[in-house]
Amino acid sequence: MKNTNSRRDFLKKLAIGGGGVVILGKYHFLFANQAKDGILKAIVVDFDKCTGCRTCETVCSAFHHPVEIEGETFHGLGNPKLGNIQVYHYNPDADIPSVCANCPDTPCVNACPSEPDPLTGYGAIYRDKETEAIRTNHHLCISCGSCADACETERTGVIKMNPVTNHPEHICDHCGGDPQCVKYCPYEALSFREVDVDKAFFGMSPQKIAEELFERYYSGEEVING
Amino acid sequence: MDNIYGQYGLVLDVNLTSGEIKKTKISKEDLKNYLGGRGLGMKILWDRLKKPGIDPLSPENILMFMPGPFSGLPIPSSSRTTIVTKSPRTSPVTKGYKHASTVSYANMGGFFGPEVKFAGYDGIVVTGKASEPVFLLIEDDQVQIKSAVAYWGMGTESLDKILIEKYGKEYQSCYIGQGGEKMIPYASVLNTAARAAGRGGVGAVMGSKNLKAIVVRGTQQPNLAKHKMYLDLLEKARTTFREDTEGVGYWRSGGTAHALESSSNAGTMAVRNYREGTFKEIEKINTKAARTQIWKRDFACFSCQLACKKSGFAKGAYGGVVHDGPEYETGTMLGANLLISDLAGMNKLISICDDYGIDIITTGGVLGFLMEAREKGMIDLEFLDGIDLTWGNVDACIAMIHKIVRQEGVGKLASLGVKALSEHIGQGSEEFAIHVKGHELAAWNVNTNSQRMMITYGTANRGACHLNSSSPSRQNNNAMQDSLGACSFAGRWYRDDISYRNFIEAITGIEQTDEEFARIGERIFNLEKMFNYREGFSRIDDRMPERFFKDAHTYGQGKDILATHDDYNKWFDEYYTERGWDPKTSKPTNEKLVELGLGFMIS
Repeated sequence: MKNTNSRRDFLKKLAIGGGGVVILGKYHFLFANQAKDGILKAIVVDFDKCTGCRTCETVCSAFHHPVEIEGETFHGLGNPKLGNIQVYHYNPDADIPSVCANCPDTPCVNACPSEPDPLTGYGAIYRDKETEAIRTNHHLCISCGSCADACETERTGVIKMNPVTNHPEHICDHCGGDPQCVKYCPYEALSFREVDVDKAFFGMSPQKIAEELFERYYSGEEVING
Repeated sequence: MDNIYGQYGLVLDVNLTSGEIKKTKISKEDLKNYLGGRGLGMKILWDRLKKPGIDPLSPENILMFMPGPFSGLPIPSSSRTTIVTKSPRTSPVTKGYKHASTVSYANMGGFFGPEVKFAGYDGIVVTGKASEPVFLLIEDDQVQIKSAVAYWGMGTESLDKILIEKYGKEYQSCYIGQGGEKMIPYASVLNTAARAAGRGGVGAVMGSKNLKAIVVRGTQQPNLAKHKMYLDLLEKARTTFREDTEGVGYWRSGGTAHALESSSNAGTMAVRNYREGTFKEIEKINTKAARTQIWKRDFACFSCQLACKKSGFAKGAYGGVVHDGPEYETGTMLGANLLISDLAGMNKLISICDDYGIDIITTGGVLGFLMEAREKGMIDLEFLDGIDLTWGNVDACIAMIHKIVRQEGVGKLASLGVKALSEHIGQGSEEFAIHVKGHELAAWNVNTNSQRMMITYGTANRGACHLNSSSPSRQNNNAMQDSLGACSFAGRWYRDDISYRNFIEAITGIEQTDEEFARIGERIFNLEKMFNYREGFSRIDDRMPERFFKDAHTYGQGKDILATHDDYNKWFDEYYTERGWDPKTSKPTNEKLVELGLGFMIS
């Protein structure tokens, strides 16, 4: 008996548990609402500290793709490809975690042509009023890919269309306020803090960040770890 | 069918001669008895190579890329992939078979092994030989043998860049450089252009099959037997690492490179072709020098908290290349052993060897041997095709490495290693030809700790190996560790609550006592030994180079200490006896084999 955890299976599981599972106990998945203080927050990467170990991918994946055993839900095994945060590796050495920047001006939401749900006012992709994270509603999604295109051309490009469901994925939900990647990063390279559009590398694609880091580390201009 | 947890019970079987691609079942029993990685690879090697003397560079040899039961799980420091094959490097004193050689295993960190696991396989087994250069493209069940004609002739650095560009972040790859293509016996296999399965000539075997690269992407993970137990262990392991800031900090701040200075101070470093144990210019190549002059960033393998890989960038005449290093082995073998103290020059040498895909340890051994033979007047400038190989000469080393890989003139001979060189040169040069079974020693010198180091190098099943360890129990432990996909640098943290045994129970569901678990490593080590014995290796092949009985270090810690042949014989008698092997031949006794479940090896 083997579990061929294809993307489809994972997505099914996600759909089952997707709304916001609250299970108490040791492995609780607390999708509790973030403190609503009007401050927009996101995962912010310190690229000088990242070593490319991909722990963030695995803990994100394990949290968002739980497994059910005898009626109880546990963190999954954490296939790194299913993490919302994704680490891009380059040669010369540079590893770039790419994660939703939670852009204040939401190019992804603005690009979405879907009809908002009249009850909630939310379209297929929206900023959730409670958590202030970008969320999606696949029932309203028409799979046009406009959100991914907007993200790709204007920002990080982290939003990708799932090849099976054709819905957008890899959008960070901040794990409901206690981001696993921040908690488990062994190198303290990740933090959950106020979005600052003026900060270096804000909303940039991994490729562009890598190019700047190549210049920073490997141009012979300065020694970083002296 | 039995339920198998944590593994698939399947290897991907690719015959490059016929083009046949299939999945071959691995029994639950073999997974239990040999785990994965090195152990499972060795069992398959024994099962498939049914007779001794098979030419390691012929299509008949098999080449395996083996992750382990830990691979793909984010257990800290579990990134290793072991490559297993029959060695193109080793040969016995008495050759009953023309192509007699030992087992070979070499392991690398990085991201390749986990991805093989994600693709749904406990390993990749390559047999036969492609008619033209090919690479394997594995996407879960979709496996293609594709032309690598466009990649043939490329160094690992260029190829790595091309594969990243072409396949992107979801794919991992390993490959050979020109060293493997030309079947240089000490060619390596690399992942991420710097993480090398360096030893034992695995790259030459890959080249002999016309296999340039393997590119893999997977989406699967096997169910675990005790999921909750695994999560508990994982949480504890992560906490254990996180809380040991000093222990983890040692690796992050320098890793094995810290040993450059400590080993030199202790007189245990390979200096001047192993003539000395202390390097007088150590401060020019130690971690402080590397930190201030070369190292820019720390990098980690998959899910590792140690980040011991240091990407370097040097300025000056040898500068301009971004490459790892030095760490202890590379910094010693291409530094102290050649009396090279030019850090940028050494880093250049490291980058050239990795780009070609040749083993840096052996390359440093070969260059050191030639320098000494030249110094002693056994060979002259003409023999060396005009390359002025003198101690400390970086440019001459660069020139010789090019000749070795291009197979020009003296390079062709040097590409065969120090054993072949000393047999060719004669004149007593065998005394300072530093190898065991034809495999060159690594960067830890012998004299200061003769008993430990002689057992370590002498009894290693792939020929001289510094990672073998000096007692049966530790050797067994290392064989087990290599079979999990775990990294030896992190082994010290996996004790008590978070022992490897407990992880294996959570992953596979197999409950066993510590004694039963320890048997696994012993079983693997004995199986390897029996493979070697069948090839014609016996006690005499565990002998050490004569230098370690004649040339005491003349300065530094451990000066004047020297073992005698009587010491050697006593230590090895004790070792074989402790192992349950016949001290006369070093063959495992039938009782020992039966006890380990290796009765099938009794002929």
